[in-house]
Amino acid sequence: MIVKNLNVSYDDTTVLENINFTIKEHLCILGSNGSGKSTLAKALCGLLPYEGSIQLEVYELSELPPIERAKRVAYIPSKMESFEQFTTVEEFVLLGRYPHKASFKNYSIEDKNIVREVLSELSINELAPLRLHSLSSGQQQLVLIAQALAQKSTLLIFDEPTSNLDPKNTALFVKELQKLRESFTTILITHDIQLAAYLNDPVLFIQDKNAKLYEEDFFKTDRLSQAYGINFKNENGLLGIHYE
Amino acid sequence: MNKLYLWLVLLILALLSPFAGTATLDFGTIFEANSLSQRIFLELRLPRILLAFVVGGTLGLAGLLFQTLFRNSLMTPFTLGVSGGAVLGAGIAIKLGLTLIFGISAVSLFGFLGAFSTVLLLIVLSRYLKKAEQESLLLLGIALSFFYTSALMVIFYLSSFTETATIMRFTMGSLSVVGYESVLTISLFSALLLALLYFKRFELQLLSISDEQASLKGVNTKQLTYLFLGVSSLAIGVLVSLTGPIGFIGLIIPHMVRKVYQRPVSSLIFPVFFVGGFFLLACDTLTRVISIGSEIPIGVVTALIGGPFFIYLIISKQSS
Repeated sequence: MIVKNLNVSYDDTTVLENINFTIKEHLCILGSNGSGKSTLAKALCGLLPYEGSIQLEVYELSELPPIERAKRVAYIPSKMESFEQFTTVEEFVLLGRYPHKASFKNYSIEDKNIVREVLSELSINELAPLRLHSLSSGQQQLVLIAQALAQKSTLLIFDEPTSNLDPKNTALFVKELQKLRESFTTILITHDIQLAAYLNDPVLFIQDKNAKLYEEDFFKTDRLSQAYGINFKNENGLLGIHYE
Repeated sequence: MNKLYLWLVLLILALLSPFAGTATLDFGTIFEANSLSQRIFLELRLPRILLAFVVGGTLGLAGLLFQTLFRNSLMTPFTLGVSGGAVLGAGIAIKLGLTLIFGISAVSLFGFLGAFSTVLLLIVLSRYLKKAEQESLLLLGIALSFFYTSALMVIFYLSSFTETATIMRFTMGSLSVVGYESVLTISLFSALLLALLYFKRFELQLLSISDEQASLKGVNTKQLTYLFLGVSSLAIGVLVSLTGPIGFIGLIIPHMVRKVYQRPVSSLIFPVFFVGGFFLLACDTLTRVISIGSEIPIGVVTALIGGPFFIYLIISKQSS
């Protein structure tokens, strides 16, 4: 993905201005609350109109038909929101197959097999018959990932995936993420500095509508402190906020 | 309550339906050609049964669609003022004494225009609402309903006694028909809505999760939402112009079916249509059984059941 001179507006106010970056393998997007991280993520998924260029493979994102776009980009939100509560996990994950389904036709046996494969890949087969509302936050996050995997897109965008997870579920999630990173391009939006430092991907730091790309060396206390405007410390190789 | 009980109760009431009414049917002569009983059965009872069924089914479907599109169980064509718009449109046509425009019934055309312009108005107004304030849309619908009622009052004020009586009776909602013309007209639009929802059931299921989810999976949400709203307001507009407003079916039926079936929206389309149909038929049978002399209008009956139900829904939403 190559992004050039990207401007994104939301409700008539410019949120992002002149953003440029190229994703080779993985990217981590950092920035304060309200800096426009999620807006950028939504633009990269094709959910928001933009000026400039977002090039995906050989296509311009805004020119791709929605179905073709969905075959290439999947977005994993931080929380499952659903008006419909009676959908089962299996049915929810099956919705990930929508872009591959022939129009007016039902989901095929192959689609259902892919759902089963994805669920066992994430070791959550036993959740299949459960309804969405009975899941814990950790399970919901895994189900959202399962749906994105069923979508078979090449680019996965995670929007603050660990913000609702306890330490155990965070560890489980990171383990899955590590596996996925071998076969998918990923964009991770997060506030979790420790996780970002652990993955050690190029960082796009968003501030005052602009973004700066750090190919390496972002996770140093002085650089972090400068970027976020607070003090960071490094104790025994463990990065953290220095509380005063 | 499970599926079996629901269907059993509805079917028994539906089977009783042809035999309820002020005139008693004589079983002995019902199969005799041109007997009074046969004529009552074929020209009054049967069309009315079919009308009640199709109207109930269509109102249920439109309710399910609106609830899904707005992701709120209180949003229905009736609570959002779409039916109110249709009533005002039809009222204007009656007041102006219009009968046919380009060969189409003027009351139906105005009814559709009223419903459709309300939907357009809601779409335009909702652009000024923040996403978190979805419930304000309901307030907008209520404000529109008040406005329409007042506008109708102005029409009453300007009308002669007979015109007023005609419009007044119309606003109470009625399933009284002679012959099959209304049944066929409503069935046509009802079939169109049913077919659309059925063929787009997977898109509807994605929309029931969220707009965002549907877009991310490749649904052209804007285009599809406009198509859904266009076809449903066409069906509602035509329906209301022929029967008057019959409220709360679109609120009660999807809720009931969802509770009993516990399935996602893609599996609820036919159940909602059939339960809606049988439910209104049952209500209509009841009104004919309990009516003494002149009949209680069906719209009044459904509103009497629906009002308390609406309050119950609001309270149970708050507590959950």
